[in-house]
Amino acid sequence: MTQSSEEIGERIVELLPRLRRFARSLSRNQHDADDLVQSGIERAWRHLEQFKPDANLASWMFGILKNAWLDNLRSRRRRGEVALPEDSGEHPAISPVDGNTELWSVSEAMSKLPEEQRLAVALVLVEGLSYKEAAEVLEIPMGTLTSRLARGRTALAAALEGGNPS
Amino acid sequence: MKYDDETLMAYVDGEVDAKLRADIDAAIARDPVLASRVERQRAVRGKVSGAFAKVLEQPLPDELMRAARGGATSGSPANRGNVLQFPARPSRAPSPPWRGREWAAMAASLILGAVISWRLFATGEGAPIVPGKASLVAHGALAHALDIQLASEQRGGEAISIGLTFKTKDGNYCRSFELRASRTVGLACRVGSEWQVAATDAKEPAAGQMQQASSAISPAILRAIESRVDGAALDADAERDAKERGFEPNH
Repeated sequence: MTQSSEEIGERIVELLPRLRRFARSLSRNQHDADDLVQSGIERAWRHLEQFKPDANLASWMFGILKNAWLDNLRSRRRRGEVALPEDSGEHPAISPVDGNTELWSVSEAMSKLPEEQRLAVALVLVEGLSYKEAAEVLEIPMGTLTSRLARGRTALAAALEGGNPS
Repeated sequence: MKYDDETLMAYVDGEVDAKLRADIDAAIARDPVLASRVERQRAVRGKVSGAFAKVLEQPLPDELMRAARGGATSGSPANRGNVLQFPARPSRAPSPPWRGREWAAMAASLILGAVISWRLFATGEGAPIVPGKASLVAHGALAHALDIQLASEQRGGEAISIGLTFKTKDGNYCRSFELRASRTVGLACRVGSEWQVAATDAKEPAAGQMQQASSAISPAILRAIESRVDGAALDADAERDAKERGFEPNH
């Protein structure tokens, strides 16, 4: 089976808005998110021979972005930079002054979740993947996905409502 | 009928079957407390998905458009030719009349086993897996890593990395692992004072995984986990607790 590189390129262009949204939900601002998308896409092109033509390109790209994000966090940790999840970007979070208070508050709450829960929340709640698709992207069993998702959600609910999880 | 939060989340996510959906619909109509719990789950989902929705409408940066079309890196496959050839499936020889397929499958599994054991025993990792009394057991650096290493504290450069840790239905702990140099992933379960190796598999480099592997797992190991796991994998805190108890089963 052959597929021209132009076709693949156009399919990735079509996915860009979703890739940016997924990356934004893992990062504290759009600048860091776009850096993540950029490095993910470059990896995808380098490893294109591993993409099976009948596989889902969006899932494949989400998986690559997930790996790039985790590798990024780990190399920051290795360099001895503070390992707190909320410090995972080089640029400070945008302030709520720029108009989008809701994006800011949800993004701050997400940044406090453990990495594994953030990924589950990002794929299911932000990207709308099914549990099965999300478990495949994260390479974890379904039961693990649902429990990470539940814990992440309960913590988010508490943070966003300013109360305690019920 | 009582529904836990996880069930209500699945309901809100459209992940329950028709029967359960109808049951919950009916229960909500009778029970205002349940209705408000569902509403709360729906609100969280709505808030999170709504917050990021605007990103979809933003103009796309030119740099990303270029990268998407394969133009960001000069050596990328995109620039090497106009048409990308996906690797062709190996052509299958016609089956000989005498049950050739079984022979082929057997030969393939022998070869795979040989490749894995060659990788395990012929690398500098000092025979991480050795025959024990009842099965293969982890040895040396691998046994040590299984004893003390926490997935949550790995930095990505470890020779041996730990993936998921979970409890089996018998109350024993199992951990998935990866031996970086031999590109082998596996699953070991704590039985008595040993880590019995329940499964190993060759790890194909996954897309986007460079030097640092992001998950010590393969589809075969995932299946081995799914057939044993009781509930879900441990989170970072539970993993630490289990380690502090020496991965002793607690029934």
